[in-house]
Amino acid sequence: MDNRGNDASDKAYLKVKNVTKNFGTFTALKDISLEVFEGEFVCFLGPSGCGKTTLLRAIAGLDIQSAGSVSQGGKDISNLPASERDFGIVFQSYALFPNLSVADNVGYGLVNMRSNKADIRKRVDELLSLVGLNDQGDKYPAQLSGGQQQRVALARALAMSPGLLLLDEPLSALDAKVRVHLRHEMKELQRRLGVTTIMVTHDQEEALTMADRIVVMKDGVIEQVGTPEEIYRHPATPFVAEFVGTMNFLKASKGEGGQVLLGGHALSLSDREKEKLNGKDILACVRPEDIAVRNVDQATDNSFEATVKELEFLGSFCRASLNYGDGESQIAADFSINLVRDKGIEEGGTIRVALPENRIHIFSQG
Amino acid sequence: MTDQTLQTRATASAIKPKLSRDDWVMRAFILGIGLWLVVTLLLPLYSMLSKSAQNKDGAFVGLANYIEYFSTPALFHSINNSFFIAIVSTIITISLASVFAFILSRSMIPFKGVFKGIALLPLLAPSLLPGISFVYLFGRQGVLKDWIGDYSIYGPIGIVMGEVFYTFPHALMILIAAFSIADARLYEATVVLRTSRIRTFFTVTLPGIKYGLISAIFVVFTLVITDFGIPKVIGGQYNVLATDIYKQVIGQQNFEMGAVVSVVLLIPAILAFAVDRFVQRKQVAMLTARAVPYEPKPHALLDKIFFVYCCVIGLAIIGIIGMAGYASFVTFWPYNLELSLNNYDFDVMDGGGWSSFYNSLKMAAYTAIFGTVIIFTGAYMVEKAKGFKFMRGIIQFLCMIPMAVPGMVLGLAYIFFFNHPDNPLGIIYGTMPILVIVTIAHFYTVSHLTAMTALKQMDPEFETVSASLKVPFFRTFLKVTVPVCMPAILDISIYLFVNAMTTVSAVIFLYSTDTSLASIAALNMDDAGDVAPAAAMCMVIVATSAGVRVLHALLTRGMARKTQAWRKR
Ligand SMILES: Nc1ncnc2c1ncn2[C@@H]1O[C@H](COP(=O)(O)OP(=O)(O)O)[C@@H](O)[C@H]1O
Ligand SMILES: [Mg+2]
Repeated sequence: MDNRGNDASDKAYLKVKNVTKNFGTFTALKDISLEVFEGEFVCFLGPSGCGKTTLLRAIAGLDIQSAGSVSQGGKDISNLPASERDFGIVFQSYALFPNLSVADNVGYGLVNMRSNKADIRKRVDELLSLVGLNDQGDKYPAQLSGGQQQRVALARALAMSPGLLLLDEPLSALDAKVRVHLRHEMKELQRRLGVTTIMVTHDQEEALTMADRIVVMKDGVIEQVGTPEEIYRHPATPFVAEFVGTMNFLKASKGEGGQVLLGGHALSLSDREKEKLNGKDILACVRPEDIAVRNVDQATDNSFEATVKELEFLGSFCRASLNYGDGESQIAADFSINLVRDKGIEEGGTIRVALPENRIHIFSQG
Repeated sequence: MTDQTLQTRATASAIKPKLSRDDWVMRAFILGIGLWLVVTLLLPLYSMLSKSAQNKDGAFVGLANYIEYFSTPALFHSINNSFFIAIVSTIITISLASVFAFILSRSMIPFKGVFKGIALLPLLAPSLLPGISFVYLFGRQGVLKDWIGDYSIYGPIGIVMGEVFYTFPHALMILIAAFSIADARLYEATVVLRTSRIRTFFTVTLPGIKYGLISAIFVVFTLVITDFGIPKVIGGQYNVLATDIYKQVIGQQNFEMGAVVSVVLLIPAILAFAVDRFVQRKQVAMLTARAVPYEPKPHALLDKIFFVYCCVIGLAIIGIIGMAGYASFVTFWPYNLELSLNNYDFDVMDGGGWSSFYNSLKMAAYTAIFGTVIIFTGAYMVEKAKGFKFMRGIIQFLCMIPMAVPGMVLGLAYIFFFNHPDNPLGIIYGTMPILVIVTIAHFYTVSHLTAMTALKQMDPEFETVSASLKVPFFRTFLKVTVPVCMPAILDISIYLFVNAMTTVSAVIFLYSTDTSLASIAALNMDDAGDVAPAAAMCMVIVATSAGVRVLHALLTRGMARKTQAWRKR
């Protein structure tokens, strides 16, 4: 799945190999292996409790793994304490020191490097302007908004120019609007600085918009690693398909010549999906927004008639619930408002829809 | 990919984390604190236990001392007496304090703050003060001696009355806390359902404070059964366990029997403590699940009755302290009622004079300073260190022990341990340091719990962030943890100071002529029949404690103003 191929693996900046973490009898991470490249923005994505934070803390040396190795910049750091590793970190709570001013928070680590006062001051100003808080240095954290606090934490984490930036749900304490705004800002900043970054999140939208690569996790194992596009277009498992975006899971069976039978309709598949038709229980999956209606007629491949059972208005688009085949099977489809108007789609009506060949995913079991 | 995974799995063995310098330093501190607790608490208690199984020559005699104890009626009758006093005092204190706490938290009477302040006044006084005061009120020449008819104040009546005065604020604080966690929505429900006030009280109020009530009962019981000052001053011929220890050790020089009585006294104290800890854990669970706070509503008639009740209790407390205060200024009770400062001329009396007061001040200051540093640092290390679980668990346990050990018992244990000829630490015996150390040990638990509560409210990631910035933890401790926890640190130091000023039981066996303390001087003057000077000394202690409290309040307020920029309100 690695989009850079194996030849690049020697250049990986961070290598996690066969990492397992036990809390007593509970195994929070099971044999995790992963590579992160220099300058890359990687997101750990998964439901709450799947082990994202545990993996991040193992990489940081805060809760060292029970087994397995971690190396950074070609150096084995598996058993080093956090203070001997090279990273900056931002927590969900930000952990800003409440009794220190913003400038003192940002310069907290610099003071220890015995740089002189003027140098520290300069560097702090530089960092504050980097995150867009130029004139806020004298305030205390409690006097800032949540978004500003988050940026202070980010500036503090970047102060020592770490080789690795670790972010644990850095945006989840903010309200939706600020969150969307900061997403872009942070991504932009990361690109500008070129700092290798790992961010933990349970928000798929955040991962899709910010990451160069996404690591999808579930119950302590990696389900899939890939670019946002890959994860979205070619989910490796039903879990990924369901967790990232919306997906129709449709009961199907194997047809002739690499086709799949869906409610009596034989649908053709892309070559990579054909190979997956090898089990008893077959699920054909398609995203609601991939269901085509425009320019679909009798001659269109993979098309069939469906009745509109329900039409739900969701603002910028409508979600239709369609009955097909024997009339029992249902499929959700997203139609733009335009399309609904142009095609005169309404509840109870019949339309012809197509499931494009390259948008059907097959999962089979047994 | 699969091949590579298989290959590397063979080499992936268990990781042994390397410890950072911070980890080493923290562990060293934890070991230090552990050692401190072992030396100042565990070893002395062990010496006492072993002493109770030895004869005068130090030979092991098994349970012989215990058999002697239980076959001497004059001795084991004190068990009955102690329990009788403790149970009666507990019932009275809890009844009075529950109503008082209920009124303060659930009614709309005026001057609540004043009433609460008055109710907490007994905390500032040594426990012998009420004893002395009752002598003046109800003694042979007492101003109100008709009130108790033919009964004598010297004995169970006096002791119980004194204990109620002394334990009232302790019970009150626990009960107010219990009442204040009530959920208003439950009360709204009773109004909607038109439940009567009486029924509401029994179905909602009482279950709500259940744990606080149980906790208060056991705290009061322990305080009473281990108290020494009141039975000493006003007990007359009525013996209780705590005075027996004193008589055996000081009167008869029978240290072994003193150790036996101590063990006997230790048992109910430990049991009560265990129940209290168990119950408090439940109360905490209730606290975190709390919801909408209750807002009291006015009620014309009830509020009048409540107000009168609070006035009666408030006047009683002020009366008791005031009586001792008045008596301390009376030239020669009851023959010459002219006011003078004669009784404050401590230097002409036995007991240590004014220098004992200066010793007390010094002792309290040292206890406050060193105690706060040791206890807060210890709590920090135990709370924030990583790994080392076993040691941290042991220390947490050791920190809880002092709560269950009566002061007399701890003091006696110190004699056995520090006065042992083979103990190199014996050089501190009879000096100021041993008084400071025993006082810190005696009041360790509450201080430790206060520190832990404050530390648990700190973001656990402060240390993590420091590590990632390569800043050693102690810099973060000094620059962030200590300033942010300053209110709790001040609370601990004031608690230690006031208790060091007023304590008698822990230090009674350990002072020397050079290190006599104010509370002990009061006790000795009372013993020698100089009751008025004893009252005067008690008043000096009360005034000092009160002064320090006021200073603390001003300091806290000043600090709040200074730090309100960064403190979220
Ligand atoms: N210190 C710990 N002790 C025991 N279990 C833990 C500890 N930390 C995390 N876990 C468990 O490990 C699992 C993964 O936790 P975490 O990595 O925090 O999940 P998330 O993906 O939400 O960040 C959870 O089931 C959690 O309960
Ligand atoms: Mg997490």
